[in-house]
Amino acid sequence: MAQFTIPARDKTKEMRYQMGYALADLAKEYPDIVAVDADLRTSSGLHIFEHFFPDKLIKVGIAEQNMISVSAGLSQEGYIPFPCTFDAFSRRFLDQLYVSVAYSNLNVKVLGAYVGLFTGKAGATHQSDKELGILLRIPRLNVLEPGSNEEMRQILRCAVETPGPFYIRIVRCEVEDNEVGEGYKFLLGKGVTVVDNGYDAGIITTGFMIRTAKIAAEKLLKRGIRVRIDHHPSLKPFDKELLYDMASKVPVMVTAENHCTSGGLFSLVAENLAKEGKQKKVGTIGTDPEDFIHTGHVNDLLAHYKMTSDDIVNMVISLLDERKKLV
Amino acid sequence: MDPFKHNNLWEPYRKNRRHFKEIFSHQDDYKSLIENTERLAYLIRSYSVYSMTCAALGHPGGSFSEAELLATMYNYVLRYDPAEPSWPMRDIFYLSKCHACPGLYAALALAGYFPVKDLGRYGSWDSYLESHPDSTTTPGIEIAGGSLGQIPGVAVGRALGMRKRGPDHFDRMIYVLIGDGECNEGSVWEAFMAAGHYQLDNLVFIIDNNKVQAKGFVNSDMSIEPLADKLAAFKITPWEVKNGHNVAELIDLFNTLHTQRRGKPNAIILNTIKGKNVADCQLNPNWHTSAPRETGMAQSWLGELWERDGRRLGIEEDFPVSLGKSIAVVPPLHTNPDEIVDKQA
Repeated sequence: MAQFTIPARDKTKEMRYQMGYALADLAKEYPDIVAVDADLRTSSGLHIFEHFFPDKLIKVGIAEQNMISVSAGLSQEGYIPFPCTFDAFSRRFLDQLYVSVAYSNLNVKVLGAYVGLFTGKAGATHQSDKELGILLRIPRLNVLEPGSNEEMRQILRCAVETPGPFYIRIVRCEVEDNEVGEGYKFLLGKGVTVVDNGYDAGIITTGFMIRTAKIAAEKLLKRGIRVRIDHHPSLKPFDKELLYDMASKVPVMVTAENHCTSGGLFSLVAENLAKEGKQKKVGTIGTDPEDFIHTGHVNDLLAHYKMTSDDIVNMVISLLDERKKLV
Repeated sequence: MDPFKHNNLWEPYRKNRRHFKEIFSHQDDYKSLIENTERLAYLIRSYSVYSMTCAALGHPGGSFSEAELLATMYNYVLRYDPAEPSWPMRDIFYLSKCHACPGLYAALALAGYFPVKDLGRYGSWDSYLESHPDSTTTPGIEIAGGSLGQIPGVAVGRALGMRKRGPDHFDRMIYVLIGDGECNEGSVWEAFMAAGHYQLDNLVFIIDNNKVQAKGFVNSDMSIEPLADKLAAFKITPWEVKNGHNVAELIDLFNTLHTQRRGKPNAIILNTIKGKNVADCQLNPNWHTSAPRETGMAQSWLGELWERDGRRLGIEEDFPVSLGKSIAVVPPLHTNPDEIVDKQA
């Protein structure tokens, strides 16, 4: 049963395990925190929370709809519930989230685990690269996607300290502790400029893709191309001002998301730029909205969907070339 | 007469509704409690006709079948305070069959949560009385709903939360009224399973067994029988109310359920008649969703309700007449839905 053991806090960089520790830390400070599990705790990282607070982990069995309904009820008694299942299974409880939680404005903080392509070869039923399409359109719901463990910890704290419904996407892979820099403070509704080499091109990221984008920026710099990277952990509310600022300074942009290229980050960028009349050529890095993502090692999937740092480099260069031809 | 001066017609039986006190059949005030509760049920139906006609919207069938249950809850069982809707020691009443909210809105208005006259703004733009309840705008509504099968699970979470808080000297109770057709939803059974598993004896499911769902009859569309056996198999104690329109039977059952804990959740199978007391609607799926489309029909319904209950309860005949006359505008949509079934929303 080795895979069900609890990894030591300082030995793991996996966001899901760090999430389990972070939630347990917060529960020491905020005794009303409870977690609600639909039979996935050792996969989602909640088993770490359970280890510290066995009484605060509520099991509903394999019943995702009931997981959200029960969380709604718990929140009405003053608890701060964190229901957690695979992000893909948000498809099973969307209506509960929409009506019972968001419409009723309840204090429920949903954790979507295994987001995007990082599902441990679980295949098309578990890959969750379409869900933002609807999650980002649920009124009142805050939707956040951290890209590093420090950011994840701050986002959990923000969710606890801010009343109202939250949806937090947690990736299943190792991430750096802090991608932004010392003293970084996450703010709800705010993005952050992570790399500011120059204005040859702009890269917009959310969640895990911040790492890939930063590597791409280094590679581009070696070729003499200076880019700025804006990271948007807060997808809803979305930092339009930061987007407009980037759009006013760079000739071309690329969005990079661990999600398909429709309904998520790219759609937010495209909608907001069009609305303000600040259209740019925007390249997209992400999965194909028309694909069921078949089983494969995540490296194969990232290669197939052209989501590596080299793909970002190539996209930036081709966008710039295309622009030169036009000019 | 002013049909909105309802205090002349009915006053809450309890002076202080933060307290519950059992009244048994051998006590002198039992008879007056029953009559007082029946008056409330009569008024819930009458004001539902008023609000639904003003809105050209609503679900008469389910609103009429639940009238005696709502009246018993708000007049006798629940501990609450309309002056402080979020009073933390209150009992919780969830309406899971949210479409039947015209009945609940009438009950809440009569209980004092908001003015009865506002029922005429039901479903209109900018009103706080939504077509299906919105807990963020309407005082007394515990949770928003309208998509069936979700609120039983919310009730489970809340009951679990209450118990996790530790000993509760108020012995707060949670009641959730579920439609019989609503039991077709799988999530209802997820909630039943969890309630039985966690032995939530502060929770009572009430199934309004009115035999009719939106477009047909429960037994022929999708039967839920044998319901009592199913509930028992889910580790829930089933109770059967033979006549859900008999206030005395309801009072006697709640005397048992409200004060005793048995280590298991309870469920009441409430045998009722959909559309009770209006002949057009009774056991007729065509009046699940449809309000009277013209004042004449509303007036005749109000007259019928008076003939059935109002007269014997000593309500002046002027009440249904003036309530009918007060319906100002009926948005015209279509005529009797029995004739145009296909066009029903």
